[in-house]
Amino acid sequence: MTKYRLTYFHMRGRAEPVRLMFAVAGVEYEDIRLSRDEWANEKTSGKYPFNQIPILEVDDEVIAQSRAIYRYIAKEHGFAGKDIFENARIDMITDVLEDVLILLVRVYFEKNTEIKNRYEADLKTKLPIWLGGLEKLLIDNNGGNGYFVGDGLTWADILFVHQTDCSNFQPSGTDLDEYPKLKALRERVAALPSIAAWIEKRPKTDI
Amino acid sequence: MAKYQLSYFNIKGIAEPIRMLFAVAGVEYEDIRIQPEQWPSEKASGKYPFGSMPILVYGDIKIAQSFAITRYLANEFGLNGKTNLEKANVDMIADALKDIGEKIGKLFQEQDETKKAEKLAEIKRTDVPTYFGALEGILKDNKGGDGYFVGDDLTWADLLFFSQSEYYPMMLNEDVLISYPKMKALRDRINEHPRIKEWLEKRPKTEY
Repeated sequence: MTKYRLTYFHMRGRAEPVRLMFAVAGVEYEDIRLSRDEWANEKTSGKYPFNQIPILEVDDEVIAQSRAIYRYIAKEHGFAGKDIFENARIDMITDVLEDVLILLVRVYFEKNTEIKNRYEADLKTKLPIWLGGLEKLLIDNNGGNGYFVGDGLTWADILFVHQTDCSNFQPSGTDLDEYPKLKALRERVAALPSIAAWIEKRPKTDI
Repeated sequence: MAKYQLSYFNIKGIAEPIRMLFAVAGVEYEDIRIQPEQWPSEKASGKYPFGSMPILVYGDIKIAQSFAITRYLANEFGLNGKTNLEKANVDMIADALKDIGEKIGKLFQEQDETKKAEKLAEIKRTDVPTYFGALEGILKDNKGGDGYFVGDDLTWADLLFFSQSEYYPMMLNEDVLISYPKMKALRDRINEHPRIKEWLEKRPKTEY
């Protein structure tokens, strides 16, 4: 049986989609959480391909880069599309979610008020285009009452739920009230028993 | 029969690896280049799912996001490794190249000359060795590093690398690959690939 070791900080961050997929698939893994000090010591040990976390160890192999990890686990455990085109649609959706995340993170971590306001204003102009585009893609998939792509849960849905879950991390105006299908998708996926159970039992962290 | 249509600006940018994929695979496509003055009305037309380019249209299929397009075509053309693990390694390398590419690109946009010089020195001291050192190591780990980044054949990670490397001398003021011999040799090898060579000769010449 494959041995999985996931290493990240003690937060949801970029590791959570992996933890969510393992929870749904019922896969055992080591959920290693490093403190800042531990990471400072580990970082340049040569174990981490780009001196970053998360990494996923799969038996003797090491995969770095969060999205490479998501895609790999998705394919191994049934969260990928059924063909190349469905996977391309998933990639498109998750790439946009990444664009959104980068801007959200930028706002969240900026200390200088003036710059933070500028970043937030920039986010507010882009969000309607991105969320509007995602709402439309969801509706294009059989009316939007199922999942983003195809007939089943994929890592696009997982990533979406994870990102919209960082609720005390949202600048104002990023709730989903104007995007009813996205909002319903988020609630539907978060309520899946294995996901609800993991959300209940996981370590509680800010982000 | 449907024909692939790729739309982007008249630059190499993030579409160039896609154009190179078509070249290597020997697949015909429409290489649509939107002029800056056309873009506002194009964007407003609603044709672009997320208001940006590149997009790929193929019959009823429409895909946005450069890596989604590149990965899709690489999978279709057999240029994305053979196993899930190989594909994961391709993704990892591509994401890392994207990270360092963005850092370099951001630096290049700095207007203040003094700050730019400082940032350039900093990136050459920290990020370049971290990323390029790691990539050189990954390449060497692949059977000595005289082939490609992953597996036995060319993948889109190699093409992404080649395409990015075209910017390094301009943006970093030197050919940094001199310090990373296996990567330098890979770049030179791809440069000599007959279909890439043909594309390089016939493609529109643009600064970026």
